[in-house]
Amino acid sequence: MSEKKYTGIGFRKDFAEELIDSEVLKPSFIELAPENWIGMGGYWKKQLDKAAEKYPVTCHGLSLSIGSPDALDVPFVKQVKKFLDQYKVKVYSEHLSYSKCDNAHLYDLLPIPFRMDAVKHIVARIKQVQDILEQPLVLENVSYYTPVAAEMTEHEFISAIVNESGCNMLLDVNNVYVNAFNHKYDAKNFLSKLPLNKVAYIHMAGHEQVSDTLIIDTHGQAVIDPVFELFEHAIGLVKPVPVLLERDFNIPELEELQGELSRMDSIISKIWKTEHAAA
Amino acid sequence: MPQLKKETHTQQSILADYCRNGIFPEGLLDINKDNLHNYRRLCYNIAVDVIETAYPIAFSFLPEETWNKLLSEFYSEHKCQTPQVWRMPLEFYDYCLQKNICEILNFPFLNDLLYFEWLELDVHTMEDIQYPKTKAEGDWLNDKIALNPEHKLIRLSYPVHTTAPTEGLLEKKGDYFLLIYREKDTGNVQFVDLSMFYTYILENLMNGVLLKDILVEANSIFQINDIKLLKDRSLEFIEDLKRRNFVIGFTA
Repeated sequence: MSEKKYTGIGFRKDFAEELIDSEVLKPSFIELAPENWIGMGGYWKKQLDKAAEKYPVTCHGLSLSIGSPDALDVPFVKQVKKFLDQYKVKVYSEHLSYSKCDNAHLYDLLPIPFRMDAVKHIVARIKQVQDILEQPLVLENVSYYTPVAAEMTEHEFISAIVNESGCNMLLDVNNVYVNAFNHKYDAKNFLSKLPLNKVAYIHMAGHEQVSDTLIIDTHGQAVIDPVFELFEHAIGLVKPVPVLLERDFNIPELEELQGELSRMDSIISKIWKTEHAAA
Repeated sequence: MPQLKKETHTQQSILADYCRNGIFPEGLLDINKDNLHNYRRLCYNIAVDVIETAYPIAFSFLPEETWNKLLSEFYSEHKCQTPQVWRMPLEFYDYCLQKNICEILNFPFLNDLLYFEWLELDVHTMEDIQYPKTKAEGDWLNDKIALNPEHKLIRLSYPVHTTAPTEGLLEKKGDYFLLIYREKDTGNVQFVDLSMFYTYILENLMNGVLLKDILVEANSIFQINDIKLLKDRSLEFIEDLKRRNFVIGFTA
């Protein structure tokens, strides 16, 4: 019998080889962006296949652009579906944002106007995606640095989309912290207003405070103590789900990454009822 | 599909346009003006980083101001189509071709340089191609020669693969042929500089023609009278490609 672990790590080329052979970093799963791997062969395909043999895979997309005013890129979603099937991916998450507009990809996440017409538009697109994928879409609360043309609050916007579409939610704890700081609201109060019964996945990450009033969500630093504290509070509000540590830049030694995973494991073991997997 | 209100769509378009062109927008409602620039910075930095990583030689060669202007115009004018950002540098290359950037900047070899740099990335990452079934024993002249299928055979007008842009490339305009292939075991990309004659042989081998038949044709096309020399050189070429693991045996 062994205690079930919930924590995984983003699979990055910067430490792919190390991770595959590592005795130090031992995530219970890995996460990758399908866009970075679809149609890729050669050396990196071999590394991906080795990693996928060793670890279960979750996917966290970048280019679905669910909040785009454009039509859904159906061929792309079908490619994603094929990839998810190939690697037996049970969790496919994306961002509640847009990254493509007027037929141009931007490759980063822009804030959607918090408006009811946007809710309706996105709900229809989520259903379209879920029909193709034949599995629920899991959408992340994104960090944002300015609202745009908002007619409702952030939590009202997220809740309306999750509740009306039937999608699941990726709760990004760092993003809650970042947004609470940037937009001057109480993070715990915000959490209490989200549809937490729909949380299927959690993200943790580091960030960079660039001024007295602004934090940028960089994934390039270690997770800070207040985010761990918010994490402890948040996981007390949701059922046990996979928890992912995002680290995209300034990759430290694997010992340091494992240290962050272990700290999350330690918090989880206090809060969630211990489950035991059959040996 | 429920329609977005025109105003909502417009708000999204204004923000996206700003991220692409960097011109601070009018008409965005209820924004934090102090923070808006972060979106332009973050989007643009991703595009720049991906392109500079794909084209390190062109990046280091072109004057900084020229390069920055080119990237800025590309990201502003071109609507990136691929959802896979690592494939976007190909669109940058296509943009430079369409806009005739090499002539505008008076660097006639720029197209070749970008093409060469892109192909190195492309061959390294391209989807796996099934290797043919092979046998080790055979006759180079009379049996079908099996090749590593993961390759590109290209023609360049400037030897960007052997000569740095600073070393008088302009004076070396001509016909250059290059085999680029991916090693099966390591995934490393290898380059082989080819003469026109060897390119002709290779193109035909790629089409499944027997070497003995290629040599008959080559004899008339290249007007080489010394048949023995033609054959010996061709066999040396094949042996060399075998040592390089490009020729992988004989088709089974």
